[in-house]
Amino acid sequence: MAPFFSNKRLIALLVCIIVLVALVGYSMSERRSASLPEQLLNDSVGWVQSAFSRPAHGVAGFFESINDMRTIYEENKVLKSHLDDYAALQVELSELRRHNEELQGSLELLDDPEIYDFSLRSAMMISRSPDRWTEYIGINKGAQHGIEEDMAVMTSKGLIGKVRSVSQLTSTVQLLSDQDRTNRISAMVDGEEAVFGFIEGISDESGYLQFTKIDIDAEIEEGMTVVTSGLGGVFPRNLVIGEIVEYESDEFGLTQQAYVKPSADFNQLDYVMVVEREAASLESDIDPENEDND
Amino acid sequence: MIRYSIFLVLFLFFVLEGTVYQIFAPDLHGFSYTLIPRWVLLVIVFVGILQGRGAAMLYAIGFGILYDVIYSPLLGVYTFGMAVMVYLVSFSIPFFQKNLGMTIFMALLAVVGLEYFVYGMYSLMGLASQPHNMFFYMRLLPTFVFNGLILVATGFFIRKWILYVVKRKQELL
Repeated sequence: MAPFFSNKRLIALLVCIIVLVALVGYSMSERRSASLPEQLLNDSVGWVQSAFSRPAHGVAGFFESINDMRTIYEENKVLKSHLDDYAALQVELSELRRHNEELQGSLELLDDPEIYDFSLRSAMMISRSPDRWTEYIGINKGAQHGIEEDMAVMTSKGLIGKVRSVSQLTSTVQLLSDQDRTNRISAMVDGEEAVFGFIEGISDESGYLQFTKIDIDAEIEEGMTVVTSGLGGVFPRNLVIGEIVEYESDEFGLTQQAYVKPSADFNQLDYVMVVEREAASLESDIDPENEDND
Repeated sequence: MIRYSIFLVLFLFFVLEGTVYQIFAPDLHGFSYTLIPRWVLLVIVFVGILQGRGAAMLYAIGFGILYDVIYSPLLGVYTFGMAVMVYLVSFSIPFFQKNLGMTIFMALLAVVGLEYFVYGMYSLMGLASQPHNMFFYMRLLPTFVFNGLILVATGFFIRKWILYVVKRKQELL
């Protein structure tokens, strides 16, 4: 056997390490969108992935429905009892909606889309990163279908993450549970008074989302619902994230920190919805990018 | 067709790891240990021992790039990690080629090496925050056992198939 590392090989190894460091540095740079070769690779593999995922989702769904069948009777009873409340709520809702529209009409606010308004695009999960270090999923909609970076992604139960990179026909979604330090979204507690903070990844020990940077004087309780605040400019307001299960003051005692049990199940995803906010992110006259034009 | 069959099987495993396995993965259905499928790497090490280091390096770099672009936030980590691990364990000498147990052992060694390399790189970049003992017991050992069991069950057939492909390739030349 030849010596393990000849001079030539040592040089090759060093060159490889340099290339590694350069590539890592390149991919760590802020707000990098996918380059053309990456997009090509993502799209072509994504096509194969969806061919494999579709039947697998079907099989998984079949087993799930067998499981569901066992609990269907009890669920039905509970649902029926809710149905009576529903009719009353429906009346109240339509009444309030009409009232709201009248008031807004009198203020001439109707034309502008609200911070709450959004439209949905549904997509199928086609892949998930197999090493559990990063919580990324691939979906089968991309720039061609109108997906843009940083859009919110949700299931029918609640928010699950945001779009991280977009190719022409597929895109990658970063789940809320991802450990990346830059994975942070602005959220608020839906109570008498709105309390704002940030959802910053998942805590290793408890498996709950961390809701941090809450004002030290704010009154929060267990069981309160946490929703998106819409202040980041990309997400609409009031997408449900989860509910508070525990809270404490943070390590420095300057702010509070809460643990949030996500209402969506990040583990068993099949179809997701990409949320596009209708309201513009900034009024054009206060947008700093437009200032130079004046 | 026979020329490309190794590439096609590797690509099939690569896609299965990210799609079908992820829908039925035990740790997503309440199992507390993390089982990471490293089937592509296992087969590449088999190729490296039975066919030769050069071919295996090409596969390692190619599939490393695919991992980096499609599944991971950092470019280069898997490309470098897989290439180095495959280089280190691909001894294509008769002692390893004739001995299926040794081949399996080398493949599992590569899996452990790659897990540690990726854990180290991601910790360095702030993408992984798991303490070492948790990584070792919840992730490395279960992954080792999981991939080991799969190889013990299928290693014999993988070896036969690769030897057949190598033989046919030589006949074609």
